[in-house]
Order: sequence, then structure tokens, then C-alpha cells
Amino acid sequence: MTIADLPDAAPVVRPGVTLTSLSEEVSARVLRPHAPRWWWVGFGISLALLLVLVVAMAWLFINGIGVWGVNIPVAWGLAIAEYVWWIALASGGTIVSALFYLTRSPWRSATNRIAESMMLSAAACAGLMPIMHLGRPGFFYWLFPYSTVMGVWPQVRSPLWWDFICLLCYILMSIMFYYVGLLPDLATVRDLAQTRRKQILYGILALGWRGSARHWRNHQTVYFIMCAIMAPMVISVHSVVGLDFAGGLTPGWHSTQFPPYFFFGAVISGLALVIMLTILVRRGYGFQDIITEYHFNALAKVMLVGSLMLGYSYLWEAWGAVYGSSVADRSEFFFRIFGFYAPSYWAKIALNILIPQLLWLPAVRRSEIGLFLISVGIIVGMWLERFVIVIPSLSHNSIPSYWGVYYPTLWDWATLAGTIGLFLTLFFVFLRLFPIVSIAEVRELVQKRGSR
Amino acid sequence: MNAPGRSYWRSLEELAETPEFAALVEREVPRFRDVLAGVDRRRFLQLMAASMALGGLGSGLSACGPEPNPRQLLPYVEQPLGIIPGRSRYYATATTLDGYATGVLVASQMGRPVKIEGNPDHPASLGAASAIMQATILGLYDPRRAQSIVGHGQIDSWDGFVTALFERRDRLMAHHGEGLRLLTGTVTSPSLTAQIAALNKDFPGMQWHQWEPLHRDEERAAAKEAFGRPLDSVYDIGSADVIFAVESDLISAVPGWLAYARHFAARRRPAETGGRMSRVYAIESTPTLIGAKADHRLALRPAELAAAMRYLAAALGAGPQQWSQAQVKDADWLKAAAQDLKQHHGRALVHAGREQPAEIHLLAHAINGALGSFGATIRLIEPVAASPGSQQQSLHQLAADMMAGKVDTLLMLETNPLYTAPADVDFAAALKKVPLSADLALYADETTLASTWHIPAAHEYEAWSDARAFDGTITIQQPQLRRLYGGHSAQELLAVLLGNTMPVDYALLRAFWQSAAKQQGHADFEQFWHESVRIGVVANSAAAPVTATPTADLAAHLPAAAAEAKGLDLIFRPDEAAWDGRFADNPWLLEMPRAFTRLTWDNAALIAPSTAKRLGLATEDVVAIAAGDRQLRAPIFVLPGQAPDCVTLPLGFGRRAGGLGVGVGFDAYALRVVASPWLVAAKSLTKTGDTLRLATVQQHDRIAGRDLVHEGTLADFVKNPHFLKHEGNNESIYPAYKYPGNAWAMAVDLNSCIGCQACVVACQAENNVPVVGKDQVLAGREMHWLRIDRYYSGAADEPSVAFEPVPCMHCENAPCEVVCPVHATVHDHEGLNLMVYNRCVGTRFCSNNCPYKVRRFNFFAYAIEDDRPAESWNPEVTVRGRGVMEKCTYCIQRIRTTQIDALRENRPIRDGEIVTACQQSCPTQAIIFGDRNDPKSAVARRKASPLDYVLLEELNTRPRTSYSALIRNRNPLIKDDEA
Amino acid sequence: MAIFGPRANMLMNAALIAAAAGSVFLVMLIWLVPVMGYNSQERYIPPQPVPFSHKHHVSGLGLDCRYCHTTVEISQSAGMPATEICMTCHSQIWTNAAILAPVRQSLADDTPLRWTRVYTLPDYVYFDHSIHVAKGVGCTECHGPIGDMPLTRKATTLYMSWCLACHRDPAPHLRPLSEVFNPHWHRTPATPSGEQLMAAYHIHTRTLSDCGVCHR
Repeated sequence: MTIADLPDAAPVVRPGVTLTSLSEEVSARVLRPHAPRWWWVGFGISLALLLVLVVAMAWLFINGIGVWGVNIPVAWGLAIAEYVWWIALASGGTIVSALFYLTRSPWRSATNRIAESMMLSAAACAGLMPIMHLGRPGFFYWLFPYSTVMGVWPQVRSPLWWDFICLLCYILMSIMFYYVGLLPDLATVRDLAQTRRKQILYGILALGWRGSARHWRNHQTVYFIMCAIMAPMVISVHSVVGLDFAGGLTPGWHSTQFPPYFFFGAVISGLALVIMLTILVRRGYGFQDIITEYHFNALAKVMLVGSLMLGYSYLWEAWGAVYGSSVADRSEFFFRIFGFYAPSYWAKIALNILIPQLLWLPAVRRSEIGLFLISVGIIVGMWLERFVIVIPSLSHNSIPSYWGVYYPTLWDWATLAGTIGLFLTLFFVFLRLFPIVSIAEVRELVQKRGSR
Repeated sequence: MNAPGRSYWRSLEELAETPEFAALVEREVPRFRDVLAGVDRRRFLQLMAASMALGGLGSGLSACGPEPNPRQLLPYVEQPLGIIPGRSRYYATATTLDGYATGVLVASQMGRPVKIEGNPDHPASLGAASAIMQATILGLYDPRRAQSIVGHGQIDSWDGFVTALFERRDRLMAHHGEGLRLLTGTVTSPSLTAQIAALNKDFPGMQWHQWEPLHRDEERAAAKEAFGRPLDSVYDIGSADVIFAVESDLISAVPGWLAYARHFAARRRPAETGGRMSRVYAIESTPTLIGAKADHRLALRPAELAAAMRYLAAALGAGPQQWSQAQVKDADWLKAAAQDLKQHHGRALVHAGREQPAEIHLLAHAINGALGSFGATIRLIEPVAASPGSQQQSLHQLAADMMAGKVDTLLMLETNPLYTAPADVDFAAALKKVPLSADLALYADETTLASTWHIPAAHEYEAWSDARAFDGTITIQQPQLRRLYGGHSAQELLAVLLGNTMPVDYALLRAFWQSAAKQQGHADFEQFWHESVRIGVVANSAAAPVTATPTADLAAHLPAAAAEAKGLDLIFRPDEAAWDGRFADNPWLLEMPRAFTRLTWDNAALIAPSTAKRLGLATEDVVAIAAGDRQLRAPIFVLPGQAPDCVTLPLGFGRRAGGLGVGVGFDAYALRVVASPWLVAAKSLTKTGDTLRLATVQQHDRIAGRDLVHEGTLADFVKNPHFLKHEGNNESIYPAYKYPGNAWAMAVDLNSCIGCQACVVACQAENNVPVVGKDQVLAGREMHWLRIDRYYSGAADEPSVAFEPVPCMHCENAPCEVVCPVHATVHDHEGLNLMVYNRCVGTRFCSNNCPYKVRRFNFFAYAIEDDRPAESWNPEVTVRGRGVMEKCTYCIQRIRTTQIDALRENRPIRDGEIVTACQQSCPTQAIIFGDRNDPKSAVARRKASPLDYVLLEELNTRPRTSYSALIRNRNPLIKDDEA
Repeated sequence: MAIFGPRANMLMNAALIAAAAGSVFLVMLIWLVPVMGYNSQERYIPPQPVPFSHKHHVSGLGLDCRYCHTTVEISQSAGMPATEICMTCHSQIWTNAAILAPVRQSLADDTPLRWTRVYTLPDYVYFDHSIHVAKGVGCTECHGPIGDMPLTRKATTLYMSWCLACHRDPAPHLRPLSEVFNPHWHRTPATPSGEQLMAAYHIHTRTLSDCGVCHR
């Protein structure tokens, strides 16, 4: 959609926002000597959770993977489910900031920094999981294609290896992407900074950005190219995660639909988290003027589309299993929907497909409370979906004599809580150190509005 | 898991693993444990030279002198002849169970026994080795074994005991041994028997009592009744066309069952015998292995068994006709069976299990007589055991005399009456009344703790002795290593009483055989001795057959038919692995999944599904079972195929003292009484509301429409041998890989497999598979590389059973290989699916992707935490550390050893030269391994059979392990829902 | 008051370049460290109870390797000489040399000598001496110029890549069977080519680098 067809009720930037007021408003959040109370409270809680992660990891590395509930047949447990979950959340951020930059959607501008901060925080959690879940985490570097004394190389046929490489590139790329987008704002903050320490700090980070026309031209080019790379990359990352499963013979995994299926999941869960955080930031920092119903409306619409695509995948999955010729697939599917783990299946249907249909109502799309609740529901629902994909398939495998169930242990849950802690901690740090709304881009909008 | 034993047995090898260091590393850098895992456990081989030097040295060395570090290399001082570092040597000996010997070959690495294998030259083994036999090696090394002589609660010495016994001896001499009693198990050892005879001469008043909790009193009584004297039966099962099994333990427990199973299975492979197959009828109260193989099976409660047997006897003219008028269940079934038996006169065999009452054994004799089985399918011999009498009575008598204070000296040789005595024999109280009671036992068990003297026994691999097999064949048992924890043999103990103050087992045995050999007319004793010891069999020492026919009119000898049974029957059975309790301390056996229940680390009260339904019971419910005025609490296990209203209580658990087994399971002896040792009527069985988690390794019992068990009938097979073949679609977009050299493959015959679990334990022993314990089994982390899946089909109360051994399939299109990111599991050029432990990072994707679920993962450092001495591990196989995947390798270490020998000699590998551990131990030759590319090889021939198929063919994994379909030889006259 | 002078940009660029170079160097370290000698303990001479000289016994006296390492042709382990083997000679010569005291001691009180192993393989590696010598791989291929070592030192890295090099291309490392135990052998124009020897010994590289050859 273009600026032309904006409903006046919800301007993308409220009137009264001027170029200077905007810059001061946003950078003030970073520059003010004392963070607000809510920030400290949130940050405190995050640190507490982070501590849980530290303990959980220590316990895991000292005693071994056995402290989790994993077993044979269910050799992958929460760790992998959460890996997929986190990477999906991260991708969601990229989709908002990269994909919709390419589509030139104006509402992206105020939310992309939030999305990117979230992307980095979530990617950190995602990156942690595969290493933690290894039987011998100390040897994870054997996945690097290097060979000094052993004379052996990684196995390039393995989806896990593709996944490892993709994740590596994705995280590195995301960091650069975030930083490049941040440059002009760093310069703004530097210029508005009062104390010498801050001036130096942001000065160095700004890499001598002076906003000259040449700077801007290069920046725009680079940023556009990065978006052009990030957009397909995020799709590929998630497709490859999907291939981790599709590449397996396990009933319930061995399906060609996994790559798109996983991407749809990424869209919806990522957007849900963006919406949650946007609402919080908006409240917390009082950005009602620059983050408006317009944004929520747009984000909600995209989320609704995601939900529908996901619903389609669910149908496809059911159809393939029931109509397909494989006894194992069919019985695994029935186990999913009626068996030991059935509640998680039906819960995910409700949270990811049914409830989000409320988004057809404009009122819901614009109400922060409604959106917030739906988003929380979706994030939980997507966690359940990952669980349903990973565990029941393994527990109800091809050989009945080896059917078995998996119960997460205290340490499984501690790991989940811990990674959430890591995510929040990082996000709160971003919140405090860097402009959480892209000053430069919103200025552009204000400029455009003025010129209309 | 720190073992008390460790501090006693400090050998160089053990030091080599430097526990302190390992502990430190575990604390400091967990990751290093992985690296070390392989290290510690094989370290002893590099120090093995030292261990031998130590062997010469006595236990002293580590007490003085510096401790060697793993980087040290210790050669011999004097090179012992014939020992080659790094190569196994095999020594023949025998292991005994309930007194009866089975020949074994002990693989020994640098003087350390590492593996038990069957002795092909021994009639009771024929090269096979049961699970229990395999596990004896672990028992030998068990650090929990008793290690010091205890007299009156004080640690004492052998001399102390000898002195004590000697002063008592003089007193006994004075009054001709009045009050001297000897309690042993069943004795077949010629030398021991001779010693006891000698004792009887010195002490005329002495009385010798025998007690085996799993005694064969009923069988003996019946034989006495039928033949006038107690005769043993030896069965020629191979020549029996029709077998009628009355809860028979013929291929699961009788002495010599390994041999019987071999000959039984040889008649069950229609593809190899040109469509001819024996037919088996089974009637039983609780599932038996032969019942699982039976072509027709009835689950009947004990009273019904007797009725059925009378009916059968009448139908075959072996009993009064009015018996056939009696109302019996499944009359037409029995009629058909009877007719079938009659048609095979002279080629039929009826066998009743140890636990059946004398009545049924008597009927079996009668029927066998009528069928002309004696001299045909049954060979009668003079009893193998010395002075076979009623052991029930014997023990009862002893206890009574002890109570009456008639006993002042009691010697107990490797028997544990305090635990195994019937509940109405209060042996504990009786023992208190005996001034001097000496117990020779491997562990400080229940009896030991209550006796005045405890003499740690030497393990049978530690001492010279001899024993007879089921057919009378004699084996001279030779020690395999220096006694680990001191210990003394039964012969040594009795020798003391015979006046020998410094008995040496070797001298005693040699002396005995010198005279014995002379009597048997062996001119050259040395030659006789060396041959016998080397081969493990005393040449032609098998008992000669005797001719006897059962007395004509047995009906006269029989009690009136029992009244219709009401209420619940409680029947006692030995546990497959814990046996009568003597193996309740053996980790391998405790963790061995039982054939039917697939249960580990517990025993449970087995009841039929219908009964469970009626009583509202489910598996894992704890019930209180009362019989007479006694009661016990036991968890319920609902077992398809169990007879209705009949509860099986496995013996051998609930040990109160000893080793690892203490407190595992419940003690079923608590309800056993002298009057009826195998069956009591339950007064009540009530739900307590508690539950106990039972560690079963298989939760789902049916194949759920999967392509797992191919089954058919002989009739169809004869019509068209290929009747089970269906066109599999093996198309692939890739060209099939060529295997020009050897192509290793395995063929498993479902007709032969009797589910005895021998292969499971053999694999565990050969491949250093760790024991994980009940909690880990409950968590789904058992480590057995080879498992025997048990599938049911048909009605829940009368199911038909299929045993399916599942090792790694070594798929040519292995799903596990493509998903490993680090090349830790790869294919080799001979088709082996390799697992490279040291490369594994533990993503576990391979296991997820294995459709057969044969991969096992070290979730914890199981092997490191396992408290076996380092020297007990197989040095040819890496001991896996924490966080690595492992699985069946087709015993690659055996392949390599043979391959290297062949390459060195520039010759091809001969068929049958490489034998996997499972194949080797299998009594029925269900497993065959070899080179598929050699059309003449046994494995290629079996794979060519029309019955050959692979599991989950639709996945196109192209397994190298294939199966022969299960064929049942049904009687057309019998229509039951099984078919 | 400018915080950043004109040189700021230049400094920043320099810093960026330095950072890049530094990270490259760090990565290189991962490659370099393992191949350093101290890591593989190449040329390391461990202390021994008796300063045994292969140079003296093999090159000097011309003893055959198999005189002491008795099982090298029939077993995976080459075998360390039992004390009595040392004493076959040393009961006659150097009967009271001080350096041989430990040997005499060992025989006297029947305690093994404690040599320090020079070549330590991890326990998940199964090396078999017999097959190597049977296929024309000379002692010196792995043990270096052992015949000229006054004190035994580790002559090779024993890295897996080192093993694989030969398992992938054995030809250059083969020699006539008669020369296997000759510490001073070197290829002459007369010696048959490695390929000929491979053919003669029936060495097929197809299976030679399968993991299962060494790892069980």
C-alpha cells in the first residue's frame, strides 16, 4: 500500500511530529542518563532468567545430555523444537525489515529497528540450541570445513551441515544488516549527545558518518543490496531448517512441504513477536505519535495472511498423511491428533489458525490489547507446533516395538526459560543503547508528508 | 558407583585407569571424559604384560613400589609360553547350573578371561552358550563378591577356620560323626561325590542333604514310580515328528536344553528340509519358549492340564477309558492331537516341564510308552546326579533335626537355604541352633550372614573341579586365572574335614582322576589328563542307555482326578535370568529383557488379560497376594498367553543380602511350601492402590500393519514356496553400488529363533555394551545393540508369538549415513555400516533417521560409571564415552582379526571363518553371518530361500540383514483363530 | 570543540583493517597450532629406566628387530622384550655395568621394567604390526631411522592424516619383504616399483581407507 491510500484516522505518522522533535524524542531515550523504572524492572527479570540459563548449561555440560528427557526413539527433544522456534522468530524480524523494505511499505520504517533488535536477540538463542544439544558440544567445530591433522571433512550431504552453514551466514549477515541500518541514527545520537563519553562512544560507532550526499547514496545502495540479499536468505534459512526434517525418513518428517511450511511458520510467529514488542515499546517510550494504529493494522494483516498460509500447510499435512500410501505416516498422524501428545496438536490449531481469524475484524486489528493477546497466543502456538513436529514423529516411528514417549525434564524447561532470559536481556540492552526507532527513515516519512 | 571390591583388587590394569585422575577430569573438564572413555578401558592391554608378571607375583606388588602411569610399558620378566600379546587364547572348561555342566571355551587375553563361548565338542553346548553362561564372566569379576573369611562375625583367616574345624573334627571322630551334616546343591561332580563317600566312611553318622530350589523332585518321583528306580531321560528331539509339550522347558531350562534346541530347530526350517517340519502341540499355564514356537497351543490352568493329560492318555490307550468320558476343555483339540501322535508312533514325544506334578510326569511316561517313544525318541540313563532323592524332604528333614538340636556341625556348599527354603521351613531359626555352621558362598548372602563361618567360594573359573552334563559326559573344569578374591573350592573344604590341612584343588582333583582313570582302564594317565582338560570333555564318558519300560497300569498309581479348580492358582517359576536367585547379582542378567514380558530389573506377578480385566488390574498395579497365612506384595504384569485365573510368580528376586540384586523385585519364595512346591491356591489377591514402574523395553506388542513379520502355514508353503514373496519396488534414481570384494551380510531365521536372549547377552559381552540400570531403562535408554522384539497376533488370551532378533540392518542405502554432518557413520566397501565413535559429536540425527531404531546413545558416561574391573572389558572393542552414538557393527573386530590373518597368509576368507558373537551363542543357529557374494556360503544359501525377506522393504534401505518368514505346521483338523 | 580531528577517519580505517587482519590471523592459528612439533611430540625423547640404544644394538651389533620384538610378525603388538631376553646377553657381557642395574634388579625381584612408551595411540585406534610388516612396510616407515637412534625418539606425528597418506597411496612406502627389518634400506634402481610390490602383496587401496580398518 502506498501513502496515498492511508485512512486519515490512522496516519503513518501523527501530525505534529516534526523532524527535530522526532530526532530529539527518539535519541532522548538513549541519551537520558537514567533509564525508566519499567526498563530496570524488565532488565532485572531478564537477568534472573539469564542466570537460569547459565545454571542449566553448566549442569548440562557437566553431566551430559542425559539430564534432558531425550531417549531412543525420541533423540531430539525441546532443544531442537526451540531451535526451530527461535530461528523462526528471528526470521520474522528479517521479513519485516528486509522484505517490506523492498516493497517500500511505509509502515515498516517505524517498526524495522524493533524487528531487527528482536532478530538479533532471537538468532543468538537459536544459535545456542544446536550446540547445547550435541552429545559432545566441545567438538561442534568439527562441522567447520577444515582439516589439519585428521584428514577428514564434514559431510556435505547432511541437512544438518547445510543448516549449520546457513545459520552461520544468517547470523553474521543479520548483524551487519542491523549495523548498517543503524549508522545514520548513531550519527544523530552522536550529534545530540551532551556528555563527552557518549559523544566519543557513538562517534566511534558512527564510523564518521557526516550525512553527506555521498554517504547517503552509498548507504542507500548498500542497504538496498543487503535487503535484496537478506530477503531470499531468510527464506532459504528457514527452508533449510525445514530440510533438516524433510531429509529424514521419519514418518511425519519425510515430506516435501516442509520448507514452505516452515517459512509460513516463521512469518506468523515473527510478526507476532514484532507486534508484541512494538506495543510494549510504544507504551513504554510513549511513541504513540510515530507508531500508530496504521502500523498495527498493516502488521496484523500480514500476520493474518501468515496464519492462513499456515492453515493451508496443516490441511496439506493432514491430507498427505491420510490420503497417502504410507502406513507409518498415517498412523503417526493419527497418533499426533489422537495420541499421547494430541492436546498440543489441537492447542496449536486453535492458537495459530482459529483465534487469529479474529484479525478479519478491523477493530481487533487496531486494538493493542486484542493484538497483544493474539500475538502471545501465536507465539505459544508456534512453540507447540515445533513440539508437535519434533516429538510425536519420533515417538511413533516406523517400528512399533520401539515406540516410546518423551517427558521434558526440569532441565529441559530451565533451558527454555533461560533462552527467553537471554533474548530479553539482549533486547533490553538494544533498547537502552540504540535508537529503537529508525530516526532517519521516519524522518523520510515526515518529509514526504510535508511535501504532500 | 564406587565398588567395595576395588580396594581389595588393586592390579596394575586397574591402576592404569587411575580413578583419581578420571574423577578429577570428570569434575574439571567434562568434555575430556569422552576422549578418555576409549582410553581407560583398554589401557590394561598395554599394561597386560605387567598384569601377567603380577600374576606370578601374588597380590603384593601394588602394595609396594611406585604405581605405573598409563604411558608406561611393562614387559614380562619371563615370557610365558604360548601367550602372544594381543591375541586371544581359548581354554576349555565347564560352567554348571543346578549341578549340571555345560562345556565352555573361555577366551583369554594375556591371561585375563574376557568372553565365554560354547564348547563345540561338548554335548550340552555344541558351541552355543546361553545368556546365563555368557554372564558368568561378569560374575567372576564382580567386585561385590565376598572377599574375606568371617568367623563369628570377625574377619578371620583360612588357618583360623581349619583350626576351628579340626578341633571339631576330633570331637566328631569320637562319636562317629553324629551331628555332622552336609548340605549341597545337586552334585554331579565325580570327585566331590567320592569325597563325600570318603566322609561317610570316616563319619558314619554324617548325613548328606541336597537342596536345589529348582529341584526335579516331581520328575524323579514319577520316574521311580514308572521304572522302579529314578532314571534320567535324554531326548532325541531331532527324530520326533510330533512333540506334545506340557509346559515343557525342553528348549529353555532342562539340563542340555541348548543341544535340544539345536536339534529342535533343525526340524523347523521347511526351506532347508524340503518342506518337512515337526509339529508341536503345547498346553501350558504360563508361556514357555516351546509354547511360543508351538503350531498349536492351549493356555490351561494346572488342574486343566492334568485333566487334559488324562484325556490324552485315554485317547491313546495309555489309561482307563472312563477318563475320556470326563468333561475337558477343548476336547476336539486334544482328540486331533492324540490322533496326530498316534499316527507318528515311534516318532512322537511327550514332555512335561520340571514344575509339573508327578501325576503329569507319570502320565507323560505312560503316553510315551504307548507311543513307543522309549528307545526311539527317549533314551533312559542311570541318573547323572549323585544319590537323587527328594530334596524337599531332605531339606525339611535337615531343618527339623537342626531344630531338635541333633546337628552341631553343618557345612553348606554353595547353597543358600535361608533365602531359597520353602516358607514353611524356618531355616533361619534352625540355623541359630547349630553351634558350628560353615557356609561356602560367592557372596555374603542371607545364609552366610546367619552362619558362624563364612568361607568365600572360589568361582568355578578359579578352581579345579569336575562335573557331569545332562547325558553323563564328564568335564574337567580348569581355572582361568588366579583367584581374584582368594576363595576356596568345595573340594578343598571337604578335604579339610578329611584330614588334609593344606588342600590344593589341583592336587585333589589329579589324585582322584589318577585312580579313576586307572579304573576306567586308561593306560597313559598324563595323556588322558591332558586330552580331557584340553578338549573339555572326558572321552566317551556319556552314560550308557538302559532299557526300561514304564509299568503297564499307571492308573493304579494315580490319585483320583483333582476336583474342578476354583479361585486363583499361584504358580512358581524360575526367572529366565535370575534363575533361583543365584544370578540376581549379575547386572547383565538383571538388565536382560525377558522373552515375553520384555521386563528388566524386576519380577512381576504375571496374569492373563481376561483375568486382569475381571479383577480390574493393570500392569504396574501393586497387589497383595495371600496364600495360607502368608502374603507378599507384587506388581502386576498383564501377559497375553497366560492361562486365565493363574498367577505366575517368578522366583529369584527380592534378595535380602548378597550383591547388586539386594532389594530388586519381590521374593516369591515367601509363599512356597514343602507340600506343593510349584503351585499354591491363592487365598486372596487384592489391589493395594500403589503402583510400581516396571522397566519394559517394548511397550507396543503388535506390528500395527507394518511389514515386519512374514508368517504363513506349511500347507501353503508346500503348495507354493514363494507364497509370501511380493514384488518389492526397489527402484532408485542412483545406480546400485557394486561390492566386488566381500559383502558381509546376515540372515535371521524366525522359525529357528526361540527367544532365549543368548545372543543379546553374547553381544553385550563381546562389544562392551554397558549396563544402564533401571532408571535409565525407564527413561528409554537401554543400550543392547541386539534386541529380540516380541510380537503378538491373534486373540489376547491365546496369542501367536513371533520372536524377531533385530541387530543393525547394515542397509546399503543407509538413512543414518546421509544425515551425519561429520562422517561419523559411513559405509565401507564391503557393505558394513560403520560407526566411528571417536568422530561422533552426538547430533543423534542418525538414530532419528534409523527406521529400525537399532542405534544406541551414551546419554551419560555409562561405561565409565560401570564398576567392572578394567580387565573384564573386551580389549578388541572401543569402550564408548559419553555423548557418542553406538550400534551393532557385525562384530567388526572379529571380521578384522580374521581379515588380517587371511591377508597375511594371502588367502581368501573361508565361509564360516568369521562368526559374530550372536551367531556363535545362538543354540538354534537362527543367525547366520557371512559373505553374500560367495554363492556357496551359508548366508547366501539362506538368503536364496523363498522365505527370505527384509524389514520395511518399502523404504528401500536395502538391508544386509534379512529374515526367513515364520512358518507354522498347522494340523488341518484343528480350527483356531490363530491362523 | 571537535572531538574527532581530521585524522579520526584515517585511524578508524586503520583500526578496521587491523581488526580484519587480526581475525584472519586467529583463524590461521587454528590451522597452525596442531601441526607444531610440540603438539605432536615429534622428536620427543622420553626418559627411560635404561638408556637403551637401538643404534648400538641394531646398527652396531646387528641384532634383528625380531630378536627382541618377538611377536611383531604374528600379532597386533610388536611385543616388548622380557627381562630374560635382555639377560641372555647381559648375563654374559656388561654383567655389572651400572646402567644395566635396573635390568638385573628386574630379574632379581621379578618385577617388570617400566619403559615409557614413545608411540602412544589413542585407544580407539587399532594398529596391527603383523599385517604391516607382512605387506612390506618397513619398521623405519613409522619408527624413522631407529637403527641410528642412540636414544629412542618419536619420529612421526602419528596424526590421522599421516596414517591416511600411506593408506591412500601405499606404493611409495613399500619395500621387498626381505628388507622390512633392515633399518638402513633405501630404494635402488634394482628395487621393484611400489606398484609392482602392491600387486605382489595383493594390496587394494579400495578398502584401505575405510574407517573400520583402524576404528572399531
